[in-house]
Amino acid sequence: MKILINLLKTPAFVVGIGLFVLTLLMAYVFPVFYPVDTITRVGMPYMGPSAQHWLGTNHLGIDMVSLLVKGLRASLYVGLLAGIIATIVGTLLGIYAGYTGGLQDDIINLITNLFIVIPQMVLLILISSSVKEGRSLALIAFIIGATGWTWSARAVRAQSSSLKSRDHISLAKINGTGTFGIVVKHILPYILSYVFMVFIMQTASGILSEAAISMIGLGPYDSVSLGTILNEAMRNEALTDGAWWAFIPAAILVTITAFSLYVLNNSMEGVFNPRLRK
Amino acid sequence: MKRLNCLKLFFTGVLLCGLFSCQNSRKGSAEVDFPREKTLYLAGFQWGDPNTFNPLSDWPAFPVGGNFNLMYEPLMVYNTLNGEMEPLLASSYEKTDDVISVMMDPRAKWSDGKMVTASDVKFTYEIGKQYPSAPTSFVWDYVATVTVDTVTDTTEEGRSIEKVNFIINKEKRNNPLVVMDFLQAVRIVPKHYFTSLLDSLNGEFSELQKLKIDKDPVVSGPYNLLTYSGEKIVLKRRNDYWGNAALYGNRLPKPEYVIHPIYKSNDAFSISLQQGNLDVSSTFIPRIWMKQKEGVSTWYKKEPYFVPAAITMLVVNTTRYPLSDSKFRQAMAAAVSYKDIRELAFSQYSPPLQPGLVMPFGVEEKYFAVDDVQKYGITYDIEKAKKLLAESGVKSVFGSDGKLSHMENSKGEKLPTLFIKSPAGWSDWEAMVRIAVQGMREAGIDVREGFLDASLYWQAMPNGDFDLLMHGPSVSVTPSQPWSRFEAVMSSRNWKAVGEKMNENQGRYNNPDSKDYNAAVDSLLRLIPTITDDDQRREAYRALNNIFMQDQPTIPLVYRPEQFYEFSTKKWTNFPTEENPYAPPQCLCFGVGTKSLWEIKSTAEQE
Amino acid sequence: MLKRYPTLRYILTRAGWYLVTFMVAVTINFYLPRLGTSNPVDIIMAKVGAGLDTEAAKEKEEAYLKEFGLVELDKSGEIIRNESGKPVRTPTWKQFRNYVLMVMKGDLGTSFLNYPKKVGDMIKEAVPWTLAIQIPTIVLGWIIGNVLGALAAYRRGVFDKIFMPFSLFISAVPYFAVGMILVYLFAIVWNIFPAVGGYAGGLIPTFSLSFFSSVIYHYVLPFFSVFLILAGGQAIGMRSMCIYELGTDYIKYAKWLGIKENKILFYMFRNAMLPQLTGLALSLGLMVGGALITEMIFSYPGLGMAVLTAIQGNDYPLIQGCTLLITVCVLVANFTVDIMIGFLDPRVRAAYGGK
Repeated sequence: MKILINLLKTPAFVVGIGLFVLTLLMAYVFPVFYPVDTITRVGMPYMGPSAQHWLGTNHLGIDMVSLLVKGLRASLYVGLLAGIIATIVGTLLGIYAGYTGGLQDDIINLITNLFIVIPQMVLLILISSSVKEGRSLALIAFIIGATGWTWSARAVRAQSSSLKSRDHISLAKINGTGTFGIVVKHILPYILSYVFMVFIMQTASGILSEAAISMIGLGPYDSVSLGTILNEAMRNEALTDGAWWAFIPAAILVTITAFSLYVLNNSMEGVFNPRLRK
Repeated sequence: MKRLNCLKLFFTGVLLCGLFSCQNSRKGSAEVDFPREKTLYLAGFQWGDPNTFNPLSDWPAFPVGGNFNLMYEPLMVYNTLNGEMEPLLASSYEKTDDVISVMMDPRAKWSDGKMVTASDVKFTYEIGKQYPSAPTSFVWDYVATVTVDTVTDTTEEGRSIEKVNFIINKEKRNNPLVVMDFLQAVRIVPKHYFTSLLDSLNGEFSELQKLKIDKDPVVSGPYNLLTYSGEKIVLKRRNDYWGNAALYGNRLPKPEYVIHPIYKSNDAFSISLQQGNLDVSSTFIPRIWMKQKEGVSTWYKKEPYFVPAAITMLVVNTTRYPLSDSKFRQAMAAAVSYKDIRELAFSQYSPPLQPGLVMPFGVEEKYFAVDDVQKYGITYDIEKAKKLLAESGVKSVFGSDGKLSHMENSKGEKLPTLFIKSPAGWSDWEAMVRIAVQGMREAGIDVREGFLDASLYWQAMPNGDFDLLMHGPSVSVTPSQPWSRFEAVMSSRNWKAVGEKMNENQGRYNNPDSKDYNAAVDSLLRLIPTITDDDQRREAYRALNNIFMQDQPTIPLVYRPEQFYEFSTKKWTNFPTEENPYAPPQCLCFGVGTKSLWEIKSTAEQE
Repeated sequence: MLKRYPTLRYILTRAGWYLVTFMVAVTINFYLPRLGTSNPVDIIMAKVGAGLDTEAAKEKEEAYLKEFGLVELDKSGEIIRNESGKPVRTPTWKQFRNYVLMVMKGDLGTSFLNYPKKVGDMIKEAVPWTLAIQIPTIVLGWIIGNVLGALAAYRRGVFDKIFMPFSLFISAVPYFAVGMILVYLFAIVWNIFPAVGGYAGGLIPTFSLSFFSSVIYHYVLPFFSVFLILAGGQAIGMRSMCIYELGTDYIKYAKWLGIKENKILFYMFRNAMLPQLTGLALSLGLMVGGALITEMIFSYPGLGMAVLTAIQGNDYPLIQGCTLLITVCVLVANFTVDIMIGFLDPRVRAAYGGK
């Protein structure tokens, strides 16, 4: 509770959380007031913004605002899901490697390196070709999470390795607490705030990764995301036809979402870090 | 603060660098390797890294293979505007039921000075008989033998010319139409060059196919390969090209260089066209009217902008219920808004679609029967679609929200959702699929988009591994149209069960082993190529098209051009157009379109 | 015995682990693409099979299977068939053995989809471009980002208050979106910078002034599309590292001693930079495949697009060649950083020196 009050006193935190809530509102509350429809063709291709369609239409004549709302929802979903997966995998492996050290540490380091050198694209194309439904949003989130945990594992490893030699852990060891017990009871609580920050960063990078993957043309087949909006704009001549509304709003939305998370993370660092560095 | 100054210095430096080079590249045309006013840029035929320029390999890079006439030339060329064969290496042809003969042009020469002779023709064809991996191996189902006669020229006295006879293979396909296609599709290669190469490789043909033939190749065409990289292919004019004297009244083609840049995304084409860095393109560029102010033009100034030549369609897997029911297929056909597809997905690049497989214009207009189309053809009509669906015995089940949930058969069993397979990223097709799905769902047909990676699409197609599949069969305009289109869609000559490969009729229509087999389809397909009487041929096409409309084995969606012929008038003018139709709407390296190279004018020259 | 040379011992241990990682990576990268259901020859046949009769198509298909080493051959070079007459496919482990033997001889094989082009040649032609666009951007972005980050941490105050949110914002922008907007504004609306290709179409690469100035001119937009974002991201990381270092005792002590500001800054910079080096190494290692979107947006020469089409088309030799390149780059980069840390960081010496 005290932490929360401390956080709320930080202006950057307030800005970050404010922006993030704003994106959530746009994705989930805004549709109550605005008829979101991503199927009906309401006009000709690339109609400019008007009173009726605030951001015009896309290349098929579908309302751009509706697409953005749906796209934002999909991007948040991918980001959060990928963030959860990456944080769990990364934290577990990181703590384990950092606490035990030695051979286990080296093996986990090897696995981490492996996930860096195996291109994400290969996994994406391979797995989506063997799944009957093709590339769904959830599958993309899963793959981003399953390949993106490497840096959080490294970061968490560094943190838990520095905790290892603390007195209370030595004490727990002497008392006969097992590795698992020590990790859960004595290490995790100390780095929980850090893990939460890792989660926020992983979510932000999940959102950016989804956009990049969709931009390459490997995006979800079954839904609209901010990345697919950018990709379709690029492929359907929005640039040459001067239809800025087809890509600039989507780019801004991705940026604001990621930015709000970055600001959140950064403000938390300021509040949490002094404790960690005792 | 010192550091900040360093930074400022750096940024100014970068910008200055950029601006300096900008100045330099803008005015410094004198320093360019290929002067702009002597170079024609055309693009859209080569996508990846150029792999090989070997005419005996299966998929060589531009401009070898395909219908390109810049380096290697065919015997004759087919004018898609009027359906006439025009002379190239051969000056004329004769056609009977049993044999098609061409008279070789005795003036034709290879770039090393040797004559282009009948033995080169014989070699090009016969190498396919000897080696199954040669690109001409497929001709031998249609051609029995190739023989050569020497005849005396009647126009120029005493001169003997060679006559090459292609004897129709009556045992196998008995199809003179396709042999006519060969005259313009098979590019002749120099026998002396390739036999000596083959000898030096101890007769290993597969080793010969691995050679890239990219250093001073021996060609007969007006251009030859100068240099290439992953970014572009550069061709240089051959001033001693035999055709300049023989076919073009001693004139040279205007561009000294033809460059094919290799782009990596679709919008690079339209950006380059608009900026005058590309002169001719053959890619789908939506909303071409938005680019007209930048000097980008097409065959027609107004819609449909392009000349329709083929049909993009939904192939239906007729072995799966309920797709096996022709009533159900007709219901699907009635549920698609062809107008929306044409206007929204295809930028109005097509005249309104008529039912059936015969197009109501161009060379095949004479086979189009209005009465039949009105009687049997299915047009967009959601109510009719619902009615046809009910007649087929399939029931649509709607959820409580009014949205379609699924379909049931007459026994009340739930039917699986049908998917339309289409390559992800092919933007015009993607849009068509979305429109088709929306219409069909509105009519109560449970269909969804099934976009997939192109490699999986190519694999699904011959194996019949789909419910519905986007496909544009038989796109080339050749003497054998519209027969080739019918053959590609309806022939059960090679009928195979799903899982084995079929290169035509991938929807497995008309199984010859089933009790519903309609023998008329295959016999008409066999008959049409041999018919010589116009009225008879018209009747045969009519009968075939009526069967198509009643059975609806596929669902045609939109007409498409043979190629998207777009050009920019910034650097070159006098391209063939509707008002100035001296050549067909083809890129200037392709078929008869090649002759435009002698007619275009550089804008620099006119000033 | 090595205990007397802790740094050497450390380096050898690291090298051993990287070697193991390398071997596992090569194996996985070999098997992974082959786990899929699609088959490269099917894709090729779809391209060349149209119009062929079933028999002719089958013969052609077998010719390709044989050429690509995907079927078993008997001593006379004929395809071995099973009872039903179908060719016997070479088991994957045998393909792997052949591949390893070939790579040891320095041959990366022949691309399937770009047949008969050699994978080695394709990589050789494309890699200089990829390096040329990536290295300046990464290195400059890294240096400038770090300098600015350190400065912000050291000075704090107004500079930091403006600089920090700005860097955060910049690093949250997807770089391809910047690319698209740059193309839209500078190439289409104002038409002052080119957006297509690595140099003017009328040039061939030579060592000439006109070629180089054209390359720089075409490089402006791709450079700025990545540079700012990269520098922003680096600056944030560096800033927090430096703030951490500034809080440490040695800096406080140095300040107390009255050591020159520039010198303190230098110490702080050196120590904060170590973790940043890992990031640099990683981006340098991954750059071979990383330029894909830049390539797509600007039709820039490079390897990224070839890798994408190779993966989509199951062009195994090309996938293997490229993943091998990426693996080597990443591991070498990481190893180099490990060595540097081994020399620079006294703690490592202590840990491997034993007690």
